Amino acid sequence: MQNKNKENISDLMVSIRNLHKSFGELEVLKGINLDVMHSQVIGIIGPSGSGKSTLLRCINHLEEPTSGEIFVDGILVNDKKLKRKNFQKHLNRVRCHMGMVFQQFNLFPHKTVLQNIIEAPIQALKQNKEKSVQKAESLLEKVGLLDKINNYPFTLSGGQQQRVAIARALAMEPEIMLFDEVTSALDPELVGDVLRVMEDLAKDGMTMLVVTHEMGFAEKVANRVIFMADGVVVEDSKPHEMFTNPREERTRQFLTDILN
Amino acid sequence: MGAILTLEISIFSLFFGLIFGLIAALCKLSNNFILRNIAIFYIWLIRSTPLLVQLFIIYFGFPQFGIDLGPIISGILGLALNVGAYNAETIRGGIISIPPGQAEASRSLGMSQALTMRRIILPQALKIIIPPLGNNFIILIKDTSLVSTITVVELTLTAQRLIGSTYKPFEMYLAAAFLYAILTSAASFIMLKFEKRMDKTRR
Repeated sequence: MQNKNKENISDLMVSIRNLHKSFGELEVLKGINLDVMHSQVIGIIGPSGSGKSTLLRCINHLEEPTSGEIFVDGILVNDKKLKRKNFQKHLNRVRCHMGMVFQQFNLFPHKTVLQNIIEAPIQALKQNKEKSVQKAESLLEKVGLLDKINNYPFTLSGGQQQRVAIARALAMEPEIMLFDEVTSALDPELVGDVLRVMEDLAKDGMTMLVVTHEMGFAEKVANRVIFMADGVVVEDSKPHEMFTNPREERTRQFLTDILN
Repeated sequence: MGAILTLEISIFSLFFGLIFGLIAALCKLSNNFILRNIAIFYIWLIRSTPLLVQLFIIYFGFPQFGIDLGPIISGILGLALNVGAYNAETIRGGIISIPPGQAEASRSLGMSQALTMRRIILPQALKIIIPPLGNNFIILIKDTSLVSTITVVELTLTAQRLIGSTYKPFEMYLAAAFLYAILTSAASFIMLKFEKRMDKTRR
């Protein structure tokens, strides 16, 4: 394990500087600053509308930041100096290193589980098929769904679909994984399997940003929890501190509200 | 004989109509201001004027500027441009009906815009597009009868000529109608097969 105390710049996986994002008149992110170290697992919590998902989506540029800078592994994601066409290529490259998992799974319904997983490695990374299939099989084994390899997504439960979506993202061998409320659309009894996969991933040293309503998961797996409200980071601390002894009144209020 | 020419004209205009439709649909969805407006103009122009007038402009009007395409090519071009505009809206409708999460998932995996369209969005849109596209094709087959007015001796004009020698308009037009029905039924049947094939693997 790396020494987490030493804040060497090369250890920074994500660095966000004064990020603002507006949708028309509505300012959703009001100046976010955030540094994430390699292998850190960060839980992002907060009331709905606080900008958690928008923050995550800005990191891989599914949303275009209004201003500010986002560095991932030292590379400026929203590089304004690039011309449009080069910028698209730059984005494709940058996104190959970032996996994202969505609330609604977003598996490709016209492709089997295997085809879902090997699509991007073959098409975007130009990996050969044999290698991609091997990789897909080992990932499916890891998420416990090897027997569903030739199924179509609609034959799977929500929890199974979400685990396939995680495997699909991992097939690109990303250095960071972004999880956007990945258990919110699941039936309660299916949540556990998905969280277990994420926990294993955290143990393997993956850098993870996890927007979540699962406080138990945040407390257990994350090594840092960020509380967001109204487009700013209100509190940023160790999970144990956040949940037992929050510094800010706003955090206390939120935690009281959700625990009741 | 006329029926075979009708079939040939139908197939060619169907093919080019599909290509025009796809190009126009993608242009109309593009971020490029010029491409988008060309597509909007094309679709508006075609849909707001009668096919018969379009055919007349191409066959009788264009030669004035030295562009003489002959009756068959003029007919195919007119029909293809016409059905292309309707196909464009059909295809565009199919594309925008795919949930945005599909493109987001694809883009987040590092797939380019073009790859996303080709590998993820269009195959899914196809299933939605096929029934209304079949509808356009059937209309196209029947509309080929209009090229008889620009001297193409297809099914309808053949019938008219036979009436000239036999004096049996009822029988001749009935026979023509029957042949059109066979062609359109075959087209519906093929489209239905397509639909069925897509249904096996997808929901």
